[in-house]
Amino acid sequence: MSQTPQWVRDLKPSGPQGSELLKEERNASNVNVDQLATFLHTKDGRERKKRILKVLESEKAFDKSQNYFAGRIDRFETALKRAKRLRQLYVEQNWGTEERQVANELISEPLPYGLHESMFLITIRDQGSAEQHQKFLKPAENYEYIGCYAQTELGHGSNVRGLETTATWNPDDKTFTLHSPSLTASKWWIGSLGRMANHAVVMAQLVIAGKRYGPHPFVVHIRDMKTHQPLEGVHIGDIGPKFGYNTMDNGFLLFNNVKIPHIGMLSRFSSVDPKTNQYIRPSSPSLVYGTLTWVRSTIVMQAGGVLARGVTIATRYCAVRRQFQDRDAPEWEKGENQVLNYTMVQIRLLPLLAATFALHFTGKGMMQLYEANNRKIRQSKEASKDHARGAGPEETESSSDLLSDLHAISCGLKSLASSTAAEGLEVCRRACGGHGYSSFSGIGSYYADYLPTATWEGDNYMLTQQVARYLLKSARSVLKGNEPTNDTTAILSYFLSRQDQGAAFDILGDDADVVSAFAWRSAFLTFEALKHRDEQKRSWNSLLVDFYQLSKAHSQYMVVKSFYETLQASSTSSELDPDTQGLMHKLFRLYALHTLESEASEFYTSAAVTVRQIQLARSSAVMKLLEEIRPHAVRLVDSWDFPDWQLDSSLGRQDGKVYEDMFYRASELNPLNRVTVDPYPNSETLFRKDGSGELKSKL
Amino acid sequence: MAKKDFTDDLRPHPDADGAKKLASERSRSSIDTDELANHVFGSAYLERQQRVLTALEPEKIFSKANQANLSRPDRYKLGLARGKRMRQLMDKHGWDEADILMAEYLIDDLQPYHLHLSLFNSAMREQCSDDQRAYWTPKIESWEIIGAYAQTELGHGSNVRGLECQATWDQKTKEFVIHSPTLTASKWWNGTLGRTATHAVVVAQLMLPHGPSGKLVSYGPRPFIVQVRDKKTHQPPESIAVGDIGPKYGYAPMDNAYCLFDHHRVPHSALLSRYASVDPDTGAYTKPTNPASVYGSLTRGRSVIVMNARLVLARAVTVAIRYLAIRRQFRDRDDANPEGPECAVLDYSTVQIRVLPLLAATFALHYSGEAMRELYERTRSTNALDGDQAQLAELHSTSAGLKSLATDLAANGIETCRRAMGGHGFGGGTGLIQPNADYLSKPTVEGDNWMITQQAARYLLNRVEDVKKSPAGESRSRTDDNLRDYHARASTPPKSRQLSDETIAAAFEWRVSFFAFEAHRARYIQKKSWNSMLIDLYKLSRAYAQSMLVGNFYLAMRRSTLSCSTTTEVLGDLYRLFALNTMDAEAREFQKSGAVAAEVLDTLPEQVLHLMQKVRPHVVKLVDSFALPDFMLDSALGRYDGRVYEDLFNRAHRLNPLNRLTFNPDYRSDEIVMGAKDGADMLAKL
Repeated sequence: MSQTPQWVRDLKPSGPQGSELLKEERNASNVNVDQLATFLHTKDGRERKKRILKVLESEKAFDKSQNYFAGRIDRFETALKRAKRLRQLYVEQNWGTEERQVANELISEPLPYGLHESMFLITIRDQGSAEQHQKFLKPAENYEYIGCYAQTELGHGSNVRGLETTATWNPDDKTFTLHSPSLTASKWWIGSLGRMANHAVVMAQLVIAGKRYGPHPFVVHIRDMKTHQPLEGVHIGDIGPKFGYNTMDNGFLLFNNVKIPHIGMLSRFSSVDPKTNQYIRPSSPSLVYGTLTWVRSTIVMQAGGVLARGVTIATRYCAVRRQFQDRDAPEWEKGENQVLNYTMVQIRLLPLLAATFALHFTGKGMMQLYEANNRKIRQSKEASKDHARGAGPEETESSSDLLSDLHAISCGLKSLASSTAAEGLEVCRRACGGHGYSSFSGIGSYYADYLPTATWEGDNYMLTQQVARYLLKSARSVLKGNEPTNDTTAILSYFLSRQDQGAAFDILGDDADVVSAFAWRSAFLTFEALKHRDEQKRSWNSLLVDFYQLSKAHSQYMVVKSFYETLQASSTSSELDPDTQGLMHKLFRLYALHTLESEASEFYTSAAVTVRQIQLARSSAVMKLLEEIRPHAVRLVDSWDFPDWQLDSSLGRQDGKVYEDMFYRASELNPLNRVTVDPYPNSETLFRKDGSGELKSKL
Repeated sequence: MAKKDFTDDLRPHPDADGAKKLASERSRSSIDTDELANHVFGSAYLERQQRVLTALEPEKIFSKANQANLSRPDRYKLGLARGKRMRQLMDKHGWDEADILMAEYLIDDLQPYHLHLSLFNSAMREQCSDDQRAYWTPKIESWEIIGAYAQTELGHGSNVRGLECQATWDQKTKEFVIHSPTLTASKWWNGTLGRTATHAVVVAQLMLPHGPSGKLVSYGPRPFIVQVRDKKTHQPPESIAVGDIGPKYGYAPMDNAYCLFDHHRVPHSALLSRYASVDPDTGAYTKPTNPASVYGSLTRGRSVIVMNARLVLARAVTVAIRYLAIRRQFRDRDDANPEGPECAVLDYSTVQIRVLPLLAATFALHYSGEAMRELYERTRSTNALDGDQAQLAELHSTSAGLKSLATDLAANGIETCRRAMGGHGFGGGTGLIQPNADYLSKPTVEGDNWMITQQAARYLLNRVEDVKKSPAGESRSRTDDNLRDYHARASTPPKSRQLSDETIAAAFEWRVSFFAFEAHRARYIQKKSWNSMLIDLYKLSRAYAQSMLVGNFYLAMRRSTLSCSTTTEVLGDLYRLFALNTMDAEAREFQKSGAVAAEVLDTLPEQVLHLMQKVRPHVVKLVDSFALPDFMLDSALGRYDGRVYEDLFNRAHRLNPLNRLTFNPDYRSDEIVMGAKDGADMLAKL
């Protein structure tokens, strides 16, 4: 079948083979990959991944070999095929939430049931009454209803209050009329809506007797259960190709005065009384942002793994790729230098390697905090069981300090973590030089699919205002003399008490002092911003850039602190051998000092460190850390434990057979090479022999 | 086509009327866009753009409506069809080389013929002997042969000396034997070669037998013209394996190639022998005489890269500014009226700080590209000054740093603009997805942006060494002047307290000198290893390139002859915005070098904010003056007329082929497209 002649198939790469180079790399380091991988992912987690990988690999539907070649429609069809098969597997194999998540990570492309399985089910579960659970949730869980979550509109994104779609209460027949008054009211970007969903949770402005009550969720039947055509007055479609995410049918949706029954309005928290036509107010708005906090914590946790994919690919490839001789190398040392030995490559990759661990530990820490907080809420709910409804504002008060702290932190960290991961992936791709531009690098399309994370669940810039608002509020409370109630108010109080004495943090000698220096800078910037806002009465808008910086500073403090605390934990010293622990400390210092150096002027202005310290941080500390971490780079990325099947990358192969795999994909898998063209401009023939379809039918 | 339905009557919300918003933006500024467009591009360019555009617009083959949905093989096929049509139009309208380049730019999709037009053509022009030229030129011009340029290999990029492909002279048959000894010797990435080309200039190590033993000695990489496919069947001979390397991040219509040779024989005349040749009778090698023109052509090439970076950035900024002027989000928190309208996103300082410095950078790139081109043209005329020649020699080394900075600015700039547009920035309606993906190749090709900064830095270290050896020696260039000046005054740094236009430019130069001397000390006195200094050298090169951009911008402002006083004033603000924003980002280096006083550096964020407020009312008119046609932009968000939402909806609803299919969403059924009974076919597609 192969068109590749034998003499070509006999060729080998020149010089030391990729597999030998990676073997040498692995021999030169004593990192216990198994132990570190288990520390990161737990024993259960690793076994689960192996088990699921085995199932998926054996299924033809998940074969990835043509992914990089197909057009949008074929890709969507294939994705739908995969989504169906995956759902069948959920049932056959009895896979729970964790298994499902692992399966999706391994498949690594957004699948068309995505929003049904996440936001549609979650919203009905969280916001529906018992009766609505019976009516909507059951068929949805059984995939008779395929749903989506329709909030964003063509003209309106983050600002939910600006939504235009209306749901008007009709007292006469006890229905709601859903309507899109303008083109910009069209629902837009809604995943799983474009071609898939037969139901939607629609966020619309509730209108009763001419009065607006703000956005509320409604379950709306949108496509016929048999023909799958849109119902009368409903207009739906896919919004077209995007930067990435092209296996998802993001959709648009318009209503032309469509009536739905009273039960359509999800009424756990607020509702319309059908007898009195009165609006019943929500009892506990804070619970709503609980879900968002959870979503954001997940994003932070995943960001480490996302970035680790890029770092794994780039690190392995840069260890195999050789370019130029070292200018200082002795004459007899022939051969080109491994690209990973260049300091200008190390300074890009190794701090990102450190960041993968930093983000992973931070996300883990947040999840734990979130769960601790949830337990508290549940306890307070238990204590007030006699109330007919869920916890009211007064009950959530006991944990509200923790919750608002967590909420604000999650906004800032989501912004920092997803930006770090998205930008880091591109840095990794470019560090792979020319070959990074090939689809077979496995980074490009993955990056394109990941990018929306930087703009959804709150645009990364917009979100930082929430962090700033929270920090300003905390600072005002500290200024009033209130006792610190959480970490944020604690570092602000400390700064206030010491600002006249100044700080003398030993950032080069003491890890705890590094954390304190980050805290100090964050507190300093908070009080600066407060001065601008409260004393100088600057406009909110003119301070947005300052707020962005402030949020970043505070989030970086949180990451550095989480990394440090993880290394101090007793579980760490019991699970990792001393050498690996030592290496993790070096990664901690690399992340912290490299960050400190790139934000040098803020650290200097806040007087957390001296100019001399910053100079030393870069010229000696960071350079020395690069040198010390370099020999362990390949083993460290190995500990992220990505199967080749998941990475789908020539450059990032575990065995280092980079060139063989590039060539194989180009010559054997590439349908364009079955085509013979007519290149002469005056001939209207384009393809003389079009065998591009052959491959499809042959496999 | 979609049939009529209730959506046809829908209009955007009155607050989201893009046409009105842009009209009001345009009425707020008195910038004369025609004058500014002429100032930037010149009337000849604008006339050409209009003329070629008029020829292209009616041609359906250039429509982009369905482009983003196509598979890789279909994208190539479309590219081939477009390339053929473009050539036919060239004949029809009698286009010259500049016209065809303009057409390619406006069509905005790289065609499979591109390398025939560019690198193959110029390599043949520059490397052929007169006889070879006479033989090949007519075939190239008539497209009787289609050529490619095959240098890079699978295992070897920037380091040309490391190429593995060999061309061994066989004295008996008077032929060269072209051979790829390993897999990594495969030619790789070579555009137009994968499926299209009939011929290629192949760069191979010239191997000549030496002495009685006939031991082979390498004479370095040389160019050979090789026929790779049969004229009739378009198949390669058995001794050549050639194909397309598969999909990439961008450049879908281009057939980048792999190509391997199995002792493939070519005649003596295949060696392109303008500069070096092999005597067919003796096998003796004639050394190349160093072509004097090499300085010039590299500089010209780099000025093209800089000018191109400027256009790419102009495109991203145009789309972002128009859309963000229309898009509304949230009310101003300080607005007393709770029912007031939402803010234009462009009024948020967090949005301005991302987009407006890029608008300023577009002009900065423009003036530097222009200065380079003018210098190149002056040195080609007979009355060139000695100073120009020295300056050109200097640019040869230092323009590597500018290539690195300019392509980074543009590549990162598109992405920054895309993200500044929030959710819709991720959609196809930006018109920036493909330019982004295509342009992203630039930072890593023609010299990786990190690697090549060593060139500029090495040059500066050599200059410092000279200056230190003979401080009173003669200055050859502006850089020399600066280094000597620094050397004389190093103990009394200026620590500027006033940032006038002139002292800003001087501060950038002082910073370069300071870090050049630092690096020199590290290498020559402290004997640090080259590898340990690479990061510092990268920063040095960057500082130098930034200083070039600021310096050329400053000189252009001083020379400006614009009659519109608003334009002059706004361009001055853009100069300061670009310079001070860059200075703020690199504040630590300005402080450490003593170029600017620390207290002044602390005021930069506020100055930048103030400049952005001053520029803000003019930004829509400024991007209008880039005169980018809607045909080329192909952007719902960046349309000249502001009909953003109408266009987004039209693309989704009426142009999107996915909406012509109804899918079966039930997981229990293997049917994918309803009624197609295609469950089994799907597996076959995998």
